Amino acid sequence: MTAVIEARGLTKSYGATRALDGLSFSVEPGRIVGLIGPNGAGKTTALKAILGLTTFTGELRVLGLDPCRERDALMRDVCFIADVAVLPRWLRVSQALDFVGGVHPRFDRTVAENFLRKTDIHMGSRVRELSKGMVTQLHLALVLAIDARLLVLDEPTLGLDLLYRRSFYDTLLNDYFDKQRTILLTTHQVEEVENLLTDVIFVNHGRVALSASVEDLGSRYQQLTLAAEQAARARALQPFYEREVFGRVAMFFEGRTPAELGTFGELRTPSIADLFVAKMQGTGSR
Amino acid sequence: MSGTLADMAPEQPRSAAAPAAREPGEVLLSLVRREFWEHRALWLAPLVVTALLALCAAIGRIHLDVDDATRVQGEAQRVAVFTIIQWVLAMPLYVAAMFVVSFYLLDCLYAERKDRSILFWKSLPVSDGLTVCSKMLVALVVVPLGVFALALLAHLLYTAILGTRVLIGTLPPVFSWNTYEWLRTELVMFLVTVLAVLWYAPLAGYLLVMSSWVRRSPMLLATLPLVLAPILEWVAFGTGHVMDFINYRLNGIWWLLGVHNTRIITKHGLASVGTALEALSFRAVLTSIDLWLGLVVTAALVCAAIRIRRYRDDS
Repeated sequence: MTAVIEARGLTKSYGATRALDGLSFSVEPGRIVGLIGPNGAGKTTALKAILGLTTFTGELRVLGLDPCRERDALMRDVCFIADVAVLPRWLRVSQALDFVGGVHPRFDRTVAENFLRKTDIHMGSRVRELSKGMVTQLHLALVLAIDARLLVLDEPTLGLDLLYRRSFYDTLLNDYFDKQRTILLTTHQVEEVENLLTDVIFVNHGRVALSASVEDLGSRYQQLTLAAEQAARARALQPFYEREVFGRVAMFFEGRTPAELGTFGELRTPSIADLFVAKMQGTGSR
Repeated sequence: MSGTLADMAPEQPRSAAAPAAREPGEVLLSLVRREFWEHRALWLAPLVVTALLALCAAIGRIHLDVDDATRVQGEAQRVAVFTIIQWVLAMPLYVAAMFVVSFYLLDCLYAERKDRSILFWKSLPVSDGLTVCSKMLVALVVVPLGVFALALLAHLLYTAILGTRVLIGTLPPVFSWNTYEWLRTELVMFLVTVLAVLWYAPLAGYLLVMSSWVRRSPMLLATLPLVLAPILEWVAFGTGHVMDFINYRLNGIWWLLGVHNTRIITKHGLASVGTALEALSFRAVLTSIDLWLGLVVTAALVCAAIRIRRYRDDS
């Protein structure tokens, strides 16, 4: 199958700052991809490039289209939630449904209405009267009702409490995602999307620091926890990051076999959050 | 870590393929409706003015500034008064609409950036071209035609109110209905409305560009060049070409029409507004190169606003 997103050497500068510095990656259909990186790593700029909201140099195809030149056609198959609270405050819930239904060929109003019925949101309410969590629910209702091939989410749950965050992702999985659709999301709350993602792309300084499917991470990366006195010997195997916790040392390795490491201590696959910290702070990062 | 929740997702798409696109006309209709949801002053202000004028018609006095009030005798004079009332009561509506539309144009592309909702609007398959055009359509077609229609209906209401007052004797019978003159007055107002829209279109384009361009205070930044440029020219060169130009673009249509040639109050008495059809030079406006140059400039300004909205990257 052809890739949903194919990016090669994306570069974009804002004045002296390089937001994107030769970013290359690809996203296959039917995947849930997390674009993860520290603040200012270029995640949002990358998403804006994918959505045709910003200019850049380099090669980029989204659903086979050039997002800059063919943006209008692209937006029929792409949905995005840019941030919480971008719905206009004067808009009524019923007007939001009327409007999206009036302009979007793939909007199914009954889907949105069924979802909203499960919430406390009233059709006559204005966005300004809704809580932040409810605005996100409304936006989610609109997005669920649009039959899009690619959904882009930029920090969709920022500033929401745990209950709203959890139900947001549950709804995405239960009511939206299928093998024909692709979700690309950025978030700081890595722990929460950890068992949701099928692929991760770590971005730092406008470049890809790591790109792998979640299954591959298990065979590529190991986290070794061992007593401090054993550390010197294990260091010979070149961990790319280590940290000390309660007198024990956690070391992160790439491309080592369990046979090589198992003798030193306790071995496990690192969580995405731990791996992210290791990659960003370790010697292995650029 | 293997076997994430996403692996359990259904293989088949959840919904059947939907149509590829909406008709542009249908989309445009939704966009225009949207403008009236957001900018409620566009329809509220004319309605409020109409209500106030209806109140005036109900309790106000009609004062005719002619040397000899006894001249308002005879059918022709009463018809003239009738059309003058028709015209005078429509004017506040047009003036209010002009102000509301100006503020609307300054705000329409600025507000969506200020509240960051532009990212929501841009997440929908609506082109920047269609979006910007929908705003010009509202300002130059929907509101002017709407105000014309409202003025027409409102005039029937005022006439009913004033007629009732004549019947119960609280108003002297100084006017009488005449369908032909009524239509002629409506025609004058319609033609002047159409020509004024064409003449002031570049000004609308200017406000639209400012709305899409400035980062703050669109009102201030849109008026500043109009005030500063003439002053700077006068200080630097001692000339007033910029001032003359601005003055011409603001008032030129009335000079071309020859408004000074129309006389409602003559030494023979009052003339009905419909006589302006013969007195005004509609052709002079339509054949004026400045009108058409202005429309070319308008098109360029709309294109500029579309480009700015399309490629602006500060949200």
